[in-house]
Amino acid sequence: MRLVLICLLSVLSAGAILAQPFDLVLKGGHVIDPANGIDGIRDVAVSGGRIAAVRADIPATQARKYVAVAGLYVVPGLIDLHAHVFGNDSHLFPDDTALPTGATTVVDAGGSGWRTFEEFHRTVIAHSRTRVLALINILGKGMQGGEKDQSDTGDMDSAKTAETIQRHRDEIVGVKTAHFDGTGYTAIDRAREAGRLGGVPIMVDDKIFTNTGRTTREELLDHLRPGDIHTHMFNDRQIEMLDRFTGKLQPYMIEARRRGVKFDMGHGAGSFLWTVAAKAVAQGFLPDTISTDLHATSILAGQPDMPNCMSKMMLLGMSLADAVLRSTVNPAKEIGRYPELGTLGVGSGADITVLDLRKGVFAFKDAWGAKRLATQRLENAVTIRDGILVYDRDGRAFPVWSSAGEYEVIP
Amino acid sequence: VKRGVVMLVLLAAPAGAQEIYDILLKNAQVTDPANHRAGRYDVAVIGNKIARVGHDLPAAHARIAIDASPYYVTPGLIDIRTHFDSEAGGRNLQPDHHCLPNGVTTAVLAGAAKKMGPAKTRLLAFVEPEYAGGIENVAGILADERTLDRALKAAELRHTIVMFEGGEHSAEAVKRLRPGDIQTHMYSRQTPLAPWMREARARGVLFDVGHGADGFWFRIAAPAIRQGFLPDTISTDIDAASILLPRADMMTTLSKFVNLGMTPEQAIERATVNAAHAIRHPELGTLSEGAVADIAVVEVEHGQFGFLDSGHGRLPGDRRLRCVLTVRNGAIVWDSDGLSAPDWIKAGPYTNFK
Repeated sequence: MRLVLICLLSVLSAGAILAQPFDLVLKGGHVIDPANGIDGIRDVAVSGGRIAAVRADIPATQARKYVAVAGLYVVPGLIDLHAHVFGNDSHLFPDDTALPTGATTVVDAGGSGWRTFEEFHRTVIAHSRTRVLALINILGKGMQGGEKDQSDTGDMDSAKTAETIQRHRDEIVGVKTAHFDGTGYTAIDRAREAGRLGGVPIMVDDKIFTNTGRTTREELLDHLRPGDIHTHMFNDRQIEMLDRFTGKLQPYMIEARRRGVKFDMGHGAGSFLWTVAAKAVAQGFLPDTISTDLHATSILAGQPDMPNCMSKMMLLGMSLADAVLRSTVNPAKEIGRYPELGTLGVGSGADITVLDLRKGVFAFKDAWGAKRLATQRLENAVTIRDGILVYDRDGRAFPVWSSAGEYEVIP
Repeated sequence: VKRGVVMLVLLAAPAGAQEIYDILLKNAQVTDPANHRAGRYDVAVIGNKIARVGHDLPAAHARIAIDASPYYVTPGLIDIRTHFDSEAGGRNLQPDHHCLPNGVTTAVLAGAAKKMGPAKTRLLAFVEPEYAGGIENVAGILADERTLDRALKAAELRHTIVMFEGGEHSAEAVKRLRPGDIQTHMYSRQTPLAPWMREARARGVLFDVGHGADGFWFRIAAPAIRQGFLPDTISTDIDAASILLPRADMMTTLSKFVNLGMTPEQAIERATVNAAHAIRHPELGTLSEGAVADIAVVEVEHGQFGFLDSGHGRLPGDRRLRCVLTVRNGAIVWDSDGLSAPDWIKAGPYTNFK
């Protein structure tokens, strides 16, 4: 009798294991997966670090771990195209800043150069749970020191930069030039040459003082190629995005976009202004990519993490689905990682973000410190990176302590 | 005599009326146990000091006046156990963006940081017994079971306290702690409530939370709190491992205690005045007039929330603390809701903007 019972139990438990093909199921959420045209209630299953299924009604019994996410939005892990996780004094470590705010991939914007990339890899990339990619600085020493240090054209070696790109194709996705205070276009042109040799786009910042002999128009139309990225797009102090007198979008912005130049938000501590963004968006000029420029200063000021930046664009009229597109698919495409990143397609790596669209009255501050009130705010609720649940604001993936017995650390 | 008092008050009033406040928090729910204040007050800051805590302070006399009526206003929080170390595997775990958004204006590092950039947060440290550096920022000596002897000796020599991290044999070791010494990780798996704890507390040994990745378990804390064994101090023990899943930041940690049955005032007391006295900095953790202006403005949100312990067991809860504004040394260093910010329409031209 006892033997029969044991046999029966073994069969039952084997059956239970067979009935649980998934490591994790997110149940009842509203999936927004622009790459696959999904915008509705679906369950999402994860197995072996990959998206295993996206469909209605995956039974919870088929999963070892089940997370109830009804009322929340399930989207591909957010990609922050403009982050700072190495190099200058105010860089942040990604795991304690990106993962809690739903960014599963960050692209370090120019912290390292060809002289310092190995150190970047050793000290940050190799230690991060967050996927860390890099736009390598055209400056060999990366983003160090003040503007004078960062304007040293003697340290801008296109060939050496391209060699480093070729050696680290898994991590380096482009070239960055920023904070260039010299005259002329040396920095942009050296970066573009490195980009050409390495087969990657370049990202250029807003450092275009007319008194240094450069104009936005020339930079965009004469020096950037299709696919190159102009960041800090709403920084109107240096980028002449709007006509100063009429407030009208400059024709060369439209022309540059038509030619394939990409425009990136890059909020940061200085580059998102309500007065500029409101006018540009009202004229239909949206950012191709939503990104944070999160660093030690901006994180305490405008708090431009990814959900914050997406909320700000939604305040200006962008739909949630569109904000997701510009935070997942678009950045993935621009860095040549689509559809490897930015989708919830079955078989993709399981980087997933679960967003809570809260209703209420919320204030959002721009880089000048002016606030604008809104009636909704996105907040990150759950982050899954490489199939592993790494952040869970409300502990919804875990059992209530009083009914869980003498548990050790529950994975 | 009575008339004399009235005269003094009348004389004092015009002096106050001529003050210009840099920051005025109006009609706040003030929690300042050091001064036995719990109720509606206005709190005024001039320069880097608390200038006045009183009633009917005129908003017209303030450069920045904030309606703080929906919020608790408390002394800047003191986290007596943290791990901020820029050298930990390149993790560059910096104090400011973890402390200031949590209302923490003073953080005590467990073990002196090897390399720490300049921070706005006031940083102190519990140091190893062998530490030979200056005393200025030393809050006490760190001890585990292995180093307790040396730590006690070093503490005697330096006239300071020991923070003992506990372990398998805490019951024996704690007998050797002196009044004022601190046992942290009080709700760890190895230390369910036992008579030796009450005995130690009766002798003046302090018990600290030290949440972290392994120091805080609901199955230990809940029954202990039910039986009245509350922490003396609430600290986070925050490190790279405890930020993400158990969420050991200060606001979340305090929220856990509120949902375990403590009042917000009880929780705040343990992260302000109690913490200040535990590390022998009684000038901190208070809103006394003349004290350095370290202030936290805290909202208690109502809703359905959940909280995890170090083992990832979940505590459902209906309240959550959120820090909306932090003042450190008289400066607003965190203002998540833009309470001190102008509305963009009224902000006029964005001038003087670098």
